[in-house]
Amino acid sequence: MKNKLFKMLALFAMASIVLAACGGAAAPTEKVKVVIFVGMGTGTDPDQVDAQNKLAEKFNTTHDNIEIEFLIVPHEEYATRYLAMLSGGNAPQLVGPNGVSTVAEFFDTWEDVTPYIKADNLDLSDFYGPAVELNTYPDKNTGLPLGLYPSYLYYNKDLFDAAGLDYPTHDFDDKSWTMDKLREDAMLLTLDKNGKNATDPDFDSTNIVQYGYDDSWDTMRGTMADWGAENVGRPTTSDYKTAVANSPEWIQGLQWLSDGIWKDHFVGGADVQAGRDTTGVDPFGPGTTAMFYSHTWFLAEGLHGLSFAADIAPIPFNPKGNRIARIDADNFTIPKDAKNKQEAWEVMKWLTSPEVIVDVCRIYGCIPARKSVQAAFLEQLKTDYPGIDYDVIFKSIDYLDKPNNEEWIPEWGKIEDALNNGLSVVYSGQEKDAAKVLNDANAEVQKILDEYWATHK
Amino acid sequence: MKSPITPKTDQSRFTGIRAQSLLLKSVTTFILAAGAAIIMIPFLYLLSTSVKDRDQLRQSPPPLIPMAADTVNINGQDEPLYEVTMNGQVSKMALIKFRPGGKALFVDPAQPEQTYELLIADQKELRHVEIHFENYPDALKQMKFNKLLVNTLLVTFLGMAGMLFSCSLVAYGFSRFRAPWLNVLFILLLSTIMLPSQVRLIPTYVFFNKLGWVDTLLPLIVPQFFANAYDVFLLRQFFMTIPLELDDAAKIDGASPLQTLMYIIIPQARPALVSVAIFHFLYAWNDFYEPLIYLHSPDHWTLAVGLQTFNALYAVNTNYIMAASVVMILPPIILYFLAQKIFTQGVVFTGIKG
Amino acid sequence: MNISLGKHTLSLARREALWAYAFIAPWTIGFIIFTIGPMLASLFFSFTDYNIIDSPRWIGMTNYINLFHDELFWHALGVTFKFAAVALPLGLFFSYMIAVLLNSKIKGINIWRTVYFLPSVIAGVAVALLWGRIFDPKFGILNPFLEKIGIQGPGWLSDPDWAISALVIMSLWGVGGNVIIYLAGLQGVPTDLYDAAKVDGATGWQRFWYVTLPMTTPVIFYNLVLGLIGTFQYFTEVYVLTNGTGNPARSTLFYNLYLYQNAFKYFHMGYASTMAWVLFIIVLGLTLLIFRSSEIWVYYEGQIKGK
Repeated sequence: MKNKLFKMLALFAMASIVLAACGGAAAPTEKVKVVIFVGMGTGTDPDQVDAQNKLAEKFNTTHDNIEIEFLIVPHEEYATRYLAMLSGGNAPQLVGPNGVSTVAEFFDTWEDVTPYIKADNLDLSDFYGPAVELNTYPDKNTGLPLGLYPSYLYYNKDLFDAAGLDYPTHDFDDKSWTMDKLREDAMLLTLDKNGKNATDPDFDSTNIVQYGYDDSWDTMRGTMADWGAENVGRPTTSDYKTAVANSPEWIQGLQWLSDGIWKDHFVGGADVQAGRDTTGVDPFGPGTTAMFYSHTWFLAEGLHGLSFAADIAPIPFNPKGNRIARIDADNFTIPKDAKNKQEAWEVMKWLTSPEVIVDVCRIYGCIPARKSVQAAFLEQLKTDYPGIDYDVIFKSIDYLDKPNNEEWIPEWGKIEDALNNGLSVVYSGQEKDAAKVLNDANAEVQKILDEYWATHK
Repeated sequence: MKSPITPKTDQSRFTGIRAQSLLLKSVTTFILAAGAAIIMIPFLYLLSTSVKDRDQLRQSPPPLIPMAADTVNINGQDEPLYEVTMNGQVSKMALIKFRPGGKALFVDPAQPEQTYELLIADQKELRHVEIHFENYPDALKQMKFNKLLVNTLLVTFLGMAGMLFSCSLVAYGFSRFRAPWLNVLFILLLSTIMLPSQVRLIPTYVFFNKLGWVDTLLPLIVPQFFANAYDVFLLRQFFMTIPLELDDAAKIDGASPLQTLMYIIIPQARPALVSVAIFHFLYAWNDFYEPLIYLHSPDHWTLAVGLQTFNALYAVNTNYIMAASVVMILPPIILYFLAQKIFTQGVVFTGIKG
Repeated sequence: MNISLGKHTLSLARREALWAYAFIAPWTIGFIIFTIGPMLASLFFSFTDYNIIDSPRWIGMTNYINLFHDELFWHALGVTFKFAAVALPLGLFFSYMIAVLLNSKIKGINIWRTVYFLPSVIAGVAVALLWGRIFDPKFGILNPFLEKIGIQGPGWLSDPDWAISALVIMSLWGVGGNVIIYLAGLQGVPTDLYDAAKVDGATGWQRFWYVTLPMTTPVIFYNLVLGLIGTFQYFTEVYVLTNGTGNPARSTLFYNLYLYQNAFKYFHMGYASTMAWVLFIIVLGLTLLIFRSSEIWVYYEGQIKGK
């Protein structure tokens, strides 16, 4: 037994020496290392990892003084890992692709790139105006725009054919395409197992096999943004002091959704969504949803291997006569506490340069934020996703939500959870009265804001 | 004088006991089998999901046996095949377009220009069993299984060695001695697992970062050599079931406490040590919380972390996750099966005879 | 009693104590190096406003006071208690009973043992995804099966009233892990005790009640204490299944999940530390109660009297 003990000790000693050597510093290099933290949003799929490594090779072989390395962090743990790295003093040089939401989540940790832009006299006119706006906050500019994800309706042409309905219009100026018309069409496209649609008096709402509409892949702020409240996708006033989550428009929007689920039955409730989330099945692919509200990042996931014909159409006009098609936007950001920020800036410029931006956006599935590459990107889209109306994608950009449904507000995470709890209450049927849900949620948000301002004068 | 009936009575009593024990065994087997069936059903679905492709995953409800629709290529598109009854004749036709009212257009693959509009509900969809065994090599390759396996084995076995070594010593100290404050120290030991680890995460990471151990396997291995509450507690419980007479006998023979531990206690506690070893193996094998924080380069990841790569933001590759999980189950199960030998020993002699 | 051996006048008790400390040393050293620092740090943070990015700012008892006024704190505590109250007894009972069955000498017992052990081996992520699919109310596996035998299944993980029950069922699937410990305990019961009981004419049930059960109280105690600590810190499965939200409608907002949200989503690390230490006190209190009660119902063959 003693021999065993000694053997184990020796093994441990050897192993730790070996491991320490392996894990120790790599051979000293003159190149400055720029670590790119990937995992806040997309980019962690194995295919994407390969593509990113190839991109890194391309950069490293053409740059003498800087070396980039993609650090892939499994998406579940992006928060803990990022915060741990910050606290430990080894912050990454770049973080991305960062959606507006994760930029907001870690807002105080980002470097303001305005001085860098000024120092280089960088011309931002090639970027889409909205894209630059989304990164511009009162006290900082969080980074050069990388890509946009406009939103629109994905629709299942076969289901429309089977119901004898016209496809949704692709004409952005057709004012007859309203939320009411969407509801009408959706009810005709919602079928029970006997083939009866939701307008039929004998419709069996406990045995629905096909839904007309789905918008379940978004948050409360996102779902409500389209309804045209004064603060659009922001649940507070512009001074961030008053909660406005119970604005008339939001209540109208949530009630429309609640009725859609529980009265008219053309939207699936929590029970329908339940299995999908944990099995990686999207609402559209199985062919059981006629119209699905989503963004361009869904193209890669959703339009491959479909067993039916699909196309995309613009979002309808809201009851105020405006169209708001919420947008996601990605960019890379630089943590304030990182070392070698100047080199990080150089890499950021390279990633968003006209020569490279199309390749980068193909990895992440976004529309490049530069106008000059639109034609080239369109060619890529045609090859990757044939047969859809690409105009809808580019035109939808102009209808983005500002203030954006993901942008920073104080206590961003806590308010997000409070509002999404309200959404969950409606989807699960615990409370179907939108006014009650939003009044309660608003009270909670106001309390959070008050606590915040009490300690942040 | 013995009654002539006696031998028969003895025999019947003997058969009675055997019959009773046979009944007990059958009932036990039956209950175990019923329970096992219930336990295995989710596992069968796990296996079934692991050999489906993305399209098959979309089927709802998910069939236990992976099926896929028969298709035929018409004008460049793969269309589903149906067994169609028309004018009393049965033939195979492809469905090319849905029409209102539950109908669809069907064509004979040999003459695709001629379409027939028929009621879908009257036809039978043709399916076949389709199993994608290639999910396994695909998933393993994508998650870089071989490299991660080495890392995981290092962490698991080195940690196990360290744990067995240190926890035996510490549990012995807590169970076989009297000392002031020993009870308090034991409660302190247990209290270390009562504090949710999330709040210790950042300070611990900073500490390991200062040591330069981040992105190595060291934070996962070295602490194991300093014992942990779970295994010490368990071993302490087991040590306390071993009679003190054995210790005393050894003492009389002049054994030091260390020798008593090595030659008396440890052999007696073999089932406990094996349990603890298996538990540690399982924990280290599947743990992804700690490795996720300390291991940065994908080359240093453990298997459990690698499994997370299939759970990306927009694409949950359930089939790959299941396939990789099945492969990851094998080593612990094999280990457990082999360890059965030690479990079935069981006979613990007590008392000092004579 | 002092033994005078020339120069060495170490008392027997003193010597014994030194041996004890020596054996425990690996743990105490590790505790000092790895554990106590972070633990004290988190205690310190609980009295501060700390958002991880900036330095902590001392605010005294404010976090503790705010905590007791926090609706969500009480809600999360309630959810956790509800789960523990059901999952813990059920888990203990089932794993013990299964262990007793798996302790029999029937043919192929090794295969049965492996089968029951199997679920506890599967990686957490796969288990969560698998059960998510099983519990899918419309197109999963459980509800269609229930329908066949005439029961209308509830929404399970999508229904605020049933979500916890679903989690309890899922946790019971993995009891095979605890079974090993009970098996080891059962194997450790001296067979001559059973022989003596048989000679005394005890029935199977009596042998179980008067021999097996008392002799295995040490492992029951172990599983009870660790089960308590574990159910109160239930986290990973919920996190994966609800995407870290605790929905539907916060019905699965476990204490540790709310703690995690505060720490890493809301940047209230000070507040999260407060939550951690409050939980610590609760669990410590309950554990001490169980320890105190153990003097009545736990039997150790080799227990040293008079510590």
